Amino acid sequence: MEVKGETRGVTLTIDRDYILKNKGEEGLKKVEEELGELGYPIKYKEIETFGYYPVGLRALSLLAIKKVFDFDDKKIEEIGFFGTRVSLVAKFFIKYISSVPKVFLREGQKIWRKHWTIGRLVPIEFNKEKKYAVLQLKDFNLHPIYCIFLRGYMSGLFSLIIKSPQITCQERKCPFKGDEYHEYLIKWQ
Amino acid sequence: MAVAKGKKERIRRGEEDKVSILLEDLASLESYARDLFSFLPLPVCLISAIGIILDANPSFEELSGYRLEEIIGKPAEEVFDKGRLGEISKQTLEKGFVRAEELSIFTKNKKEILGSASATLRKTEEGEIVGYFLGFFNLAGIKKREKELRETQVALANILEDVEEARAKAEEEKNKTGAIIINLTDGILVFDEEDKLSLMNPLAEKFFDIKARDLIDRPISELSTFPTLKPLIKVLTEEVGEIFRKEVSLKKDLTLEMSAVPVLRKKERIGNLIILHDITREKLVEKMKTEFVSLAAHQLRTPLSAIKWTLKMLLDGDLGKITEEQRDFITKTYQSNERMITLINNLLDITRIEEGRYIYKPALTEFEPIVQFVVDSCKGEAERKKIKIEFRKPKKKSRRAMLDIEKIRLAVENLLDNAIKYTQAGGRVIVSLKNTPKEIELSVKDSGVGIPKDQQGRVFAKFFRGANVIRMATEGTGLGLFITKNIIEAHGGRIWFESEEGKGTTFYLALPIKEEFEGFLREF
Repeated sequence: MEVKGETRGVTLTIDRDYILKNKGEEGLKKVEEELGELGYPIKYKEIETFGYYPVGLRALSLLAIKKVFDFDDKKIEEIGFFGTRVSLVAKFFIKYISSVPKVFLREGQKIWRKHWTIGRLVPIEFNKEKKYAVLQLKDFNLHPIYCIFLRGYMSGLFSLIIKSPQITCQERKCPFKGDEYHEYLIKWQ
Repeated sequence: MAVAKGKKERIRRGEEDKVSILLEDLASLESYARDLFSFLPLPVCLISAIGIILDANPSFEELSGYRLEEIIGKPAEEVFDKGRLGEISKQTLEKGFVRAEELSIFTKNKKEILGSASATLRKTEEGEIVGYFLGFFNLAGIKKREKELRETQVALANILEDVEEARAKAEEEKNKTGAIIINLTDGILVFDEEDKLSLMNPLAEKFFDIKARDLIDRPISELSTFPTLKPLIKVLTEEVGEIFRKEVSLKKDLTLEMSAVPVLRKKERIGNLIILHDITREKLVEKMKTEFVSLAAHQLRTPLSAIKWTLKMLLDGDLGKITEEQRDFITKTYQSNERMITLINNLLDITRIEEGRYIYKPALTEFEPIVQFVVDSCKGEAERKKIKIEFRKPKKKSRRAMLDIEKIRLAVENLLDNAIKYTQAGGRVIVSLKNTPKEIELSVKDSGVGIPKDQQGRVFAKFFRGANVIRMATEGTGLGLFITKNIIEAHGGRIWFESEEGKGTTFYLALPIKEEFEGFLREF
């Protein structure tokens, strides 16, 4: 696993909970078998929420799921959205949502650092009137599948702080497309 | 250098151990918090300060019908009653909590559930408001039961109202009935199902010269200890059947007609009603009438007898020869005079019956020879009318009964006379005698004109003659069957009939045989 850095176990439990809820124990077992074949025989239920795990494992978990269940991008995005509903990551985030600008301008990076040892989440713009926000994720070149995951995750997080019937997230810059960093544009109604 | 390096290494390992212990504690804490939140049977959710549902436990999922991923991120006002939630939210943000406030939740399938909500404010370590936890206690069941209780209460109140109304009506009816009973011109006694006196009206008190309050609730057996009640109680205890009517003479100047009627509720006897009708005046008038008839009959019989014997002497030629034409006239006059004598005799019999002077002279006698005698004596008239008479006797020897031969003969004669009189020429009269274990039964069957159905109830009444019979212009006083019935009943027997107009009539009479005659014997 060449990608350096670590992530907290809570980011991995999102995958575990999603599979358990939608594919059951059998589904989770298949994913574990797939990971075993890839040389990473992990047991999801043994993952410690607050433990540190190689960042590469985070991407591998999603890839194994994609392969086992033949998931498209929409499904991967759905896992990201689901994460904001059930995982402790979201619960931690909740703590910081007393005011949107505060979350956006001050706490974003702080929250990121609690879960990842690599990467920086930089708030660029929050336009309440025009109903959009721009976030950049720098120094975080994990895997394109995680870019998709983050799209769903960002939508989910913003739905917790903004009342809107529809929130969309678009990655308009990506290192895997030649850009220096990831840039997400979040829009709401 | 090496020592310092080793020390640093130990410090680093020590720090790592501490971090490791802290992580373990955190994991345990997280597991504990999650289990607690999941286990909690009370639906709980966390609502942000701007009104978005941030978290919910499984109980909330179950109650709302939304999956967790559906409910989180949803504006709380879409799930709860907007107005009430706004107030709860405002109060919680101001005071830090609310307790047991009424709130409705709208489930995924649009069902409204009424409940009680309590909320507690949640803040960050820095004291900034995150939102509030809202616990929801489902009151649907309680409310439903409360509603049912209210409905039951209303229904009960209605029933009570109805019962009160019915009670008032019943009371009114009771008062009415009471007034009727008090003012009734008949005396009333009511006995309950245990034969205890439960009611006695003022007139009954007057009849017996006694106060109801001294008798109420006393059993019938005790009432006979009151001398004035004794004759009535004797009749009631010894003779009363299902429906009963009898004259009771209480004193010289007081005769009552007593009617006993069972009081029934759904075919079950719940008591006896005794109606006492004062017939003293009627009895007096009847007595005077009877006495008048008796006197008149006696007075008439003497000149009629004189006429009879004078006519007899004329017919016998004792007073000189008479022409055939004269004989014809005198014979007709003689026959008319005979009919008048018979009528007078019948009237005298009736007055004797009514005065209780129709004296019987019973003797242990066989019934069959009496019947045979009557049949034989009627044969001449039957032959004259071309009516065939048949007497069917039992094979076994005729049983004996206590009979007044003369009166019984008259009774049988009356039946047979009627049968011949009201049967057309060519008809048939069958007289049958049979013995039953307790009675001797006689039947007189004719193929005559019959008795119209609407008149059958009056057959044994005085002076009754069927409308069809009157049209036939046959002779008859209408007193025969009245006399016959009295004779048979005075012997402790029974009389009845079957008849169909145009087809004929059968009269039956049954007389008790000797063994069953004890009661009758005692009377003589």
